[in-house]
Amino acid sequence: MLNLLWILLGSYVVGILLPLCLPRRPEVQSLAASAPAIVATSAGIVLGLLGITSSEPVTISLASTIPLLAFSIRIDPLAAFFVLTISLVGLAASIYAIGYVRHFDGRASVPVLGALFNGFLCSMTLVVLADNGIFFLIVWELMSLLSYFLVVTEHEKAEVRYAGLFYLIMTHVGTAFIILTFLILFYDSGAFSFEAFRHPKQPLPEGMRTFAFLMALIGFGTKAGIVPLHVWLPYAHPAAPSHISALMSGVMIKTAIYALIRVYFDFLGGQFPWWWGFVVLFLGATSALLGVMYALMEHDLKRLLAFHSVENIGIILLGIGAGMIFQSYGLKELAALGLLAGLYHTINHAMFKALLFLGAGSLLYATHARNIDEYGGLLRRMPWTGVFFLIGAVSISALPPTNGFVSEWLVFQSLFLSYQLPTVFLKLMLPIAAAILALTGVLALACFAKAFGISFLALPRSAHARHAEEVSAPMRVGMGLLAAFCLVLGVAPMVIVPLLDRVIAPLAGISIEEKVLAMDGWALAPVNVEFSSLSTPVLALLLTGLALLGWGLAVVFGGRLRTRHYKTWGCGINLTPRMEYTATGFVQPIKRVFSTVYQPTVKLETEFLHESRYFVKRRHFEFHIEPIFEKYLYNPLVAFFTTMADRLRVIQAGSLHLYLTYIFVTLILLLLLAV
Amino acid sequence: MQVLSYSGSQLVDLCSALLLLTCFAIVAQRRLSACVDLFALQSAFLVMTAALVAYLTGNQHLYIAAALTGVIKVIIIPRVLKKVIDRLNVKRELVMYVNVPAGLLICGGLVMLAFFISQPIIPLGFLLTRDSLAIALAIVLIGFFTMIARQKAVTQLVGFLVLENGLFLGATAATYGMPLIVELGVFFDVLIATLIAGIYTNRLQDAFDSVDTNQLTVLKE
Repeated sequence: MLNLLWILLGSYVVGILLPLCLPRRPEVQSLAASAPAIVATSAGIVLGLLGITSSEPVTISLASTIPLLAFSIRIDPLAAFFVLTISLVGLAASIYAIGYVRHFDGRASVPVLGALFNGFLCSMTLVVLADNGIFFLIVWELMSLLSYFLVVTEHEKAEVRYAGLFYLIMTHVGTAFIILTFLILFYDSGAFSFEAFRHPKQPLPEGMRTFAFLMALIGFGTKAGIVPLHVWLPYAHPAAPSHISALMSGVMIKTAIYALIRVYFDFLGGQFPWWWGFVVLFLGATSALLGVMYALMEHDLKRLLAFHSVENIGIILLGIGAGMIFQSYGLKELAALGLLAGLYHTINHAMFKALLFLGAGSLLYATHARNIDEYGGLLRRMPWTGVFFLIGAVSISALPPTNGFVSEWLVFQSLFLSYQLPTVFLKLMLPIAAAILALTGVLALACFAKAFGISFLALPRSAHARHAEEVSAPMRVGMGLLAAFCLVLGVAPMVIVPLLDRVIAPLAGISIEEKVLAMDGWALAPVNVEFSSLSTPVLALLLTGLALLGWGLAVVFGGRLRTRHYKTWGCGINLTPRMEYTATGFVQPIKRVFSTVYQPTVKLETEFLHESRYFVKRRHFEFHIEPIFEKYLYNPLVAFFTTMADRLRVIQAGSLHLYLTYIFVTLILLLLLAV
Repeated sequence: MQVLSYSGSQLVDLCSALLLLTCFAIVAQRRLSACVDLFALQSAFLVMTAALVAYLTGNQHLYIAAALTGVIKVIIIPRVLKKVIDRLNVKRELVMYVNVPAGLLICGGLVMLAFFISQPIIPLGFLLTRDSLAIALAIVLIGFFTMIARQKAVTQLVGFLVLENGLFLGATAATYGMPLIVELGVFFDVLIATLIAGIYTNRLQDAFDSVDTNQLTVLKE
């Protein structure tokens, strides 16, 4: 296993250096960046699988001269599972990048992009493998900084620079809270190794544990994009190149989920009061609902997907939160089920969100536009991309037979099983969370009906869309790989559930593989087969069967099957793209229903003909939704800090003598204090 | 041996005291070129002190440090500074933030402070140079004070160099000098700092027609 680790790290190093050394030929350079990444991610997949299945965690440690820091790595099932997820998405993204980065030639440096890509993948892998607090923080910061540099790839655009700065500030604030978490854990263990965090010399006092819980939630929540800390996602994800967005949204934000599980279940030993789980559940429900609601109002495809990441992080947290609540009441099987649902959704979301971002990248590559109102009719011109995007859209909308359905079903089941909890309050709250999740699912479906319908169906809405061409083979392979994973994870959960169970067993202290996989693995059950069960292969067969049946019935009883190509009937008028449903129009009913949340401002300007007001010359319609969190939370905070900084400027007189005096007075005071 | 140690300690104290005395002279002196001369004198005393300590303790590398002090601080740096002064048409420090009598009083206070602070430490030492520690600290503080009290870049630079002399004396007093490699690094730093500050002073003259560093406040946003 160690050999694999060295291959993985070595390939990434090659991938960082090689593109920078080669002569200026973008095709060669992009290949030189992708080939080592493909090797490394393949090694990562094998390493992940071996790590999950091996009986003992593998550790290696390189001591350093810096106190408290050791470059130690530990491959336990939890870390291995995330290595697997990162590597699967990384593999698809590296293949995709071979074709995709070509269109950056001239706008950004292809070798630098390739080197950063490898570095980013490497740092993410090290984040989940790190076994020392300081080493973790170093690679965590490295991951944040590298992703920042990747976000500002097209730095000549002002909005990209703004997005980068926004992201950088948010991620650093998050890191500050993470450092606090580790300092609390360090406080009683006296060392920064994770082993010491796990087994402190004396147990942490209750107050400190609560503090650690909250700090970790804020710190890692910033990276994960939990509401209200999600504001950076819709800026940073669209600004980055699409295969980077796929990595950031698909896996980078998952490292925060990893860290939360690591801190709560591993370091704090899974011993916590019920309200911790409730807080996580509450934030999860809020993130899921608000994420999808804001996504609905977005017409920029990549911003839309970024808001969906907020939603899906919410769904993952619903599973984990439910698991935490069950854990605190000693319901071990259900705790394991909640965690399993959360982790299952983690890998599923990584697959379909990366797929959708790669799809969005292909659309961007083909049309040079991001607004879905400029697409239209692309299914005919880009059939492969269209089909892959559809698979991703079906998955994220949690429809069978795809993976999103299975994991959301498991989350639902773990929430419904709350009737076993002893308190009435929680018995009430968990089903409410399930109801919110149901609403989320419906809205997600509406959102992707919009995204897919407006982009791929009907007539092209712009010249860009009219002249779009299907993307190159590597890009199609990258997307196809992820689409295949989506289907496999959806139809065959018995492949992944045993692996997930091995990940969870050390954390929850119980193995539930036999109980979840009922009927020799052909059906899933939420621990208790009597409660409910779901057989995905049967479901998939049923769906295929029904489709075939419909087709068969049409053949047998339908009239003529002769195909006649003719224009769509438009009541005698020639159809133009201007007659099509727009994205804005599509979401109008939903906007009306939830106007309390959106607080929309609508502006309709009509210009009449001079001669008569019965004839309209031009109409201009625009609407905005209120960015509540930015307006009521972030703007006041920024204003506060600016005011404080202005106050502090008084002491910054710009005089050399004054600065010297400050130093002198401080020195004298410190000397006097020392005596 | 006891006698040698005792009288040696007295000699070291005497040299250190001479260093401190030149400090006061620098604070009292308005003419720029005289300040530089006084600095050269102080550095010469420092060379004496270092050589004396080297002789008394048998630390060979202190001879090298002393020789380097001689070359750099007694010869090269004063020359550079003299050149800068020649190029400028400023010969005297006219306006000071703190006038000479008040400055001398403050420096007296600083010396007392230095002795007060190092009082608990000195009896713990066993080196024959231990009493110099308080003096070294006083020189550091006075050098710092000079940087604050003067307006002309050249005198501020002299203040910095005095501060550095104090640090060297402190290192010699506390541990018979730092390792040679550290000393070499410090000498190099001081030399470069002086050269840079010399260039900076010339640029200041060109930009503002003055070497008053309080002109720099206009650079503030």
